[in-house]
Amino acid sequence: MTIPYKPRMKRQFVGGYQPRIDADEKAHGRAPYADDMISDRNYPGLLHAVVLRCPYPRARIIRMDVSKARALPGVKAVLTYEDPEVLRMKPTNAGWTDAVDTVSYEGMMWRKFRDRRVLGDYATWAGDEVGVAIAAISQQIAEQALKLVDVDWEVLPFELDPLKALKPGAPVIHPETASTNVLPPDPVGGPDVFLVKGDIEKGFAEADVVLEMDTKHHNPTQGSLDPWCCMATWEGDQLTIISNSYATDQTRMHVSQMLEIPIHKVRVVSKYVGGQFGRGDTGDQPFFIFTALLAKIAGQPVKFKHSRRDSFHDTRQPAQYHCKVGAKADGTITALHFKSIGDIGAHADHSVFALKFAPAEISEAALAPIPNIKMESYAVYTDHIPGCMMRGVGNSQFNFIFGRMIDGLAEKLGKDPIALSIQNFGHEWGSCPDASLKAVLETGAQRIGWTEKRHQPGTGPLYEGFKRRGVGFSVHPGWHAEWQEERRGQVQVKITLNPDCTVTLDAPTVETGTGSNTCNVLGCAEALGFLGIQPKDIAWVAAIDTDRGMRDCVQTDSAVSFLQSEVMIVAAQELKKKLLDTAASFLQLKTDDLEIVKGRIVGAGKEISVKELLMKGDLVPISVMISRHPASQRTGVPYIASFAEVEVDTSTGRTQVV
Amino acid sequence: MVDSPRNSVNKKINLRINGEWHEYEIGRDLEPCTTLSAFLRERLGFTGLKVSCDEGACGACTIILDGKAILSCMMLAVEADGKDVLTIEGLAKDDPVIEAFAEQSEPGHGTALQCGYCTPGFVMSVRALLNENPDPTLDEVKEALSGNLCRCGCYAGIVMAVRHASEKIAQRARQE
Repeated sequence: MTIPYKPRMKRQFVGGYQPRIDADEKAHGRAPYADDMISDRNYPGLLHAVVLRCPYPRARIIRMDVSKARALPGVKAVLTYEDPEVLRMKPTNAGWTDAVDTVSYEGMMWRKFRDRRVLGDYATWAGDEVGVAIAAISQQIAEQALKLVDVDWEVLPFELDPLKALKPGAPVIHPETASTNVLPPDPVGGPDVFLVKGDIEKGFAEADVVLEMDTKHHNPTQGSLDPWCCMATWEGDQLTIISNSYATDQTRMHVSQMLEIPIHKVRVVSKYVGGQFGRGDTGDQPFFIFTALLAKIAGQPVKFKHSRRDSFHDTRQPAQYHCKVGAKADGTITALHFKSIGDIGAHADHSVFALKFAPAEISEAALAPIPNIKMESYAVYTDHIPGCMMRGVGNSQFNFIFGRMIDGLAEKLGKDPIALSIQNFGHEWGSCPDASLKAVLETGAQRIGWTEKRHQPGTGPLYEGFKRRGVGFSVHPGWHAEWQEERRGQVQVKITLNPDCTVTLDAPTVETGTGSNTCNVLGCAEALGFLGIQPKDIAWVAAIDTDRGMRDCVQTDSAVSFLQSEVMIVAAQELKKKLLDTAASFLQLKTDDLEIVKGRIVGAGKEISVKELLMKGDLVPISVMISRHPASQRTGVPYIASFAEVEVDTSTGRTQVV
Repeated sequence: MVDSPRNSVNKKINLRINGEWHEYEIGRDLEPCTTLSAFLRERLGFTGLKVSCDEGACGACTIILDGKAILSCMMLAVEADGKDVLTIEGLAKDDPVIEAFAEQSEPGHGTALQCGYCTPGFVMSVRALLNENPDPTLDEVKEALSGNLCRCGCYAGIVMAVRHASEKIAQRARQE
């Protein structure tokens, strides 16, 4: 059943169904991605870089001989862990380079967990990039040269099971950041027991039923189709990086501080990106640094591109959850205890975000009516591939146990899980039952035919003699409201009105597919309604270039469209004031006497179109740039529910969504 | 038969690309090991096709060769000697498949693309399908597109775009 969205308020451009502004160039194959731009054809003399990846789960380089690689014809630059510019480099964390806001080295979120080195000599998973990077005139020659590198490895004992890595005596993986394999408490994530509300023991004592359950998430990969790549090129001491990173300003800060060169000597450009999905959260950002150094050594532009295999080097955090829930016979939940163990793999990166930060936020946004809650988490190093965010910070992992808890409790109490959810859940800034939660669950139930189809496990009809069907749902708070994005700091937008009454919109964000470019153009047209223009009259600046002097708003949290749109409204009003001042001066009237209606300036019996006014003037575009913090007002959160009916072939186990 | 770069010197291949014949010299313009996808993108600048997996798994490099949708990363450029290559750049500006993908936006199905990286591959697979079968069933569409991955998950919109492209073709045929 398809029911079109109905906006609460009728607007001219926002609130309907429109093709994306980039759909035409994307459908023609004309939208430029980094890998299209950085080609031998466009950059004659382009070199191609490769990096050594450790073949062992844990190992240290004892000795390396690169002489044969260096001697191979076509090799132009070799950089190793023994080179002084590598040796003096600071340790880092991919959670820095993937931050949603630009932060300095000193201010990075996970500054206690700087366990990554650019081309270090110590590898903690079979795939860790270490030791040496090589640039050559072709990818094939660079790969051939890498095979000629002679490495003596000290192969070390390793651990792949987080439950064993937790135990005393387990070999410590990163002694420089954690004295055991469990990440210590930090200012963002808090202690191991990171959330205590009320008294769960008292809550369980008051309960009529107590239930325990476990979930174990796997390591899916973001698997963007557009492999990460970058090109670094120097002109004198000026470094330019073109990449498909989704954070240009943060990349500039990262490169500037790691290479210790001033910010104004670094330029970072990104255009279209073929999917992000959180791939940078645990990723191999050191490649920006060694690519820049190789380009400096060679004096030629250098490209580094992930292979398809390299593109699978980021994953979603595979948290194991245990939940204990207590409830009264009437369904009221009296206590909840969640404990998670995260196999964070070889590097800490953003993993605490998934394990502690996200569940704490979800608790505020969904579990507020429950009086007694305890949450604890243990982020455990292993020699696995690192794992953190993918399409949600830690939401999927938490939703998995949360959904099981709702279903398990409903089954035990003989209650409807929808009624149980409405009875128990809500956010800190509202009341229970929550109107949004009730609306999404009841509407979803009605649309899928919940009452007719829902049945107790094992009691439904058989289809074709061996198939069974069941309906279910998951419910989740949409917890990225504007005020929850305050940590990003100021959001910047610039609107330029050109003399012909067209508009150039700098709402800088790297387009990864989310469509905020389209939302922003529609929002801008709406905010500039007084100009009487259409969305086609607005050009959105797609090349996000740090030299334009603005910080880009990074595509995370499904938040960019509304964060930038809120700033655009303010910028549009400022633009209107400037335009009225210009008109008043031209018409020799007072600003207060004038108004702009649908592209015409009227007042005191005079009238002139905006275009006519601007074309008669000095032809200087009118620009307004606004930097604004996200609004801090606590507005609460809406809820999202997804329903599905599935059919299980009981003879084969094959499961299909009906 | 090209068996080594040394033996291939002075050997030439001819490709008809987007309607025009071109001659290329092995050793100068391409190597015997150059894949068709790499040759088209890196040497000739046809960057509409993408090299994403480079191992025949994702469909992003799909082009049309002698009327059939093929994976250009799974073929050597020399194997295309004497053949007719159609890349997305060779489709008409108002190609009904391109138009349908670009215009797609409707309740319950969404758009046919988000990040757009897989889109040229999908467009070429659909173009080849509709050339042979202008009014395919849903199962035929699914089968024809089973080698193309969209990581953004726009499959519902893509299926609708195929239907709309099919309608456009029928409509244009009626007008002619």
